[in-house]
Amino acid sequence: MTRNDPIKHFFIWPALLIVLVISIFPLIYSLTTSFMSLRLVPPIPPRFVGFGNYAELLQNPRFWHVAWTTTIIAFISVALQYVIGFSVALALNRNVPGEGLFRVSFLLPMLVAPVAVALIARQILNPTMGPLNELMTIFGFPNLPFLTQTRWAIGAIISVEVWQWTPFVMLMLLAGLQTLPDDVYEAAALENANSWQQFWGITFPMMLPISVAVVFIRLIESYKIIDTVFVMTGGGPGISTETLTLFAYQEGFKKFNLGYTSALSFLFLIVITVIGLVYLAILKPYLEKHK
Amino acid sequence: MSVRDLKGNGRWWALAGCLLWLAFTFFPLYWVAITSFKSPLGVVGGPTYLPFVDFEPTLTAWSELLSGQRGQFYNTFMASTIVGLSASVIATAVGSMAAYALVRFTFEVKLLTGVIFVVVAFGGYLLGRHVAGFGQATSLIYAFVAALALAIGSSRIRLPGPILGNDDIVFWFVSQRMFPPIVAAFALFLMYTEMGKLGFKLVDTYTGLTFAYVAFSLPIVIWLMRDFFAALPIEVEEAAMVDNVPSWRIFFGIVVPMSKPGLIATFMITLAFVWNEFLFALFLTNSRWQTLPILVAGQNSQRGDEWWSISAAALVAIIPMVIMAGILSRLMRSGLLLGAIK
Repeated sequence: MTRNDPIKHFFIWPALLIVLVISIFPLIYSLTTSFMSLRLVPPIPPRFVGFGNYAELLQNPRFWHVAWTTTIIAFISVALQYVIGFSVALALNRNVPGEGLFRVSFLLPMLVAPVAVALIARQILNPTMGPLNELMTIFGFPNLPFLTQTRWAIGAIISVEVWQWTPFVMLMLLAGLQTLPDDVYEAAALENANSWQQFWGITFPMMLPISVAVVFIRLIESYKIIDTVFVMTGGGPGISTETLTLFAYQEGFKKFNLGYTSALSFLFLIVITVIGLVYLAILKPYLEKHK
Repeated sequence: MSVRDLKGNGRWWALAGCLLWLAFTFFPLYWVAITSFKSPLGVVGGPTYLPFVDFEPTLTAWSELLSGQRGQFYNTFMASTIVGLSASVIATAVGSMAAYALVRFTFEVKLLTGVIFVVVAFGGYLLGRHVAGFGQATSLIYAFVAALALAIGSSRIRLPGPILGNDDIVFWFVSQRMFPPIVAAFALFLMYTEMGKLGFKLVDTYTGLTFAYVAFSLPIVIWLMRDFFAALPIEVEEAAMVDNVPSWRIFFGIVVPMSKPGLIATFMITLAFVWNEFLFALFLTNSRWQTLPILVAGQNSQRGDEWWSISAAALVAIIPMVIMAGILSRLMRSGLLLGAIK
């Protein structure tokens, strides 16, 4: 139940003003420039081109390639993060031995700067001097091209994402698991429901709302990936690991093609919005069923 | 033995899984820690794992780093700390107030009011910029003030059209987070530069960077805190309302203490986000308020394969967050983060 009280304005206006001020300018600026041909280098006067930038982008195979790469990285890494994060959270919630130690140490990766993670990954994945190469040599696969061949490079980026962000999924799901009432499980145990049945019958449905939220956050954030890719592969080999943000960076800050970059970012926004809406639409019936 | 405990073999399988994940989590951190103590020869000669056993640790990388040969580390560290702490405190405070309001109070905004705001803001900006010939910043400020005034004024009168409720406002806040940060960062840089021409220096200042970080942390704070507040039992607040306790005292005296676990977790997530943020710091700072991620990333391009010094620099960015995790774990163990919700 919500109530009405004039003090609500005092509560909400600070946040509202800050977000309005900081978000309206980028919006106005990039939406207006996305309909213009505007370059800083070489400087040419801005010219209105309507949907020209958008049309040009949609015909550019590089855009589709980059969008596809980003989608693969985002979906596979978030799926892995969710499965691993949920399993670990379940174990921690069930008082696995040494749970206190695990609980703390598992959070660490989330707190490490992505730039630093990427630098460490470069060292570990180095094809001649890295420790992973030594391990693979023992198995008979020396000098694998971890960062210089498309499939390996995408796999490496996904592993780094999983390493870094599984803790976030775990933290959120663990917080959710701890709010679940004990008595439901006691009742289930009396009915002789095994752990598998308890998980699919009780835990998973009750965790669905928070799962949806966590996966949504991670999906959106994964689409914006840049620093890891930037430091690890620089988008290479060629453009095979380039992501949407990195593409925008290349267009905007190497070629200073502002109109094109703004149009790209709006297409990016549309892609994310569509994915988000489809995702929520698919899950809505399930969420309501378990309310 | 409670229902929550695992029985029999499941317990050991779970332990094995956790240990495996622990190894995966810790190896990279261990690796960067030992690499920072290696000599150049120890790096190039192939992977070595145990200090004193298969390589002789040296302090070269660290002494070079701390003596300032690798850039202004002390200054950068302080900038990162100050900006990180203040931005996450402000974002958590402002954001949880808004989140509480959105959970407990009724908000009704007419869709038309929002449309008026956007149209006037856009139109005013375009008019000011291309017709009246104002500068970018001036026309933007005029357009913003006019749009806000008109929107508030229009909400007083009866307007037709759909009404947006609390959920829509939350969605609007959270959707700010979807906006690709690269364009927001560059557009903010341009706005800050324009403001600088008017006499408000914002590029490479404490205010400019903190303000940007607060704004970009707010959506996540509001999303997280809304869930925590919604899970709180409303009966306590209703009891207080029966006793005529004013709303602000209910919030600061009852709700905030009850939601400490949520507030601390949110603060931690915000701090980690701000501390590690790369893109905004890259565009909005250049020397005085440069943050650690920029410095660390710079090591890569400047120093190529000098892993020992890169590792030391990376560790400077990593260690404070590790210490924070330690403090947090103490809070967790003292029950602050666990029992409070129940």
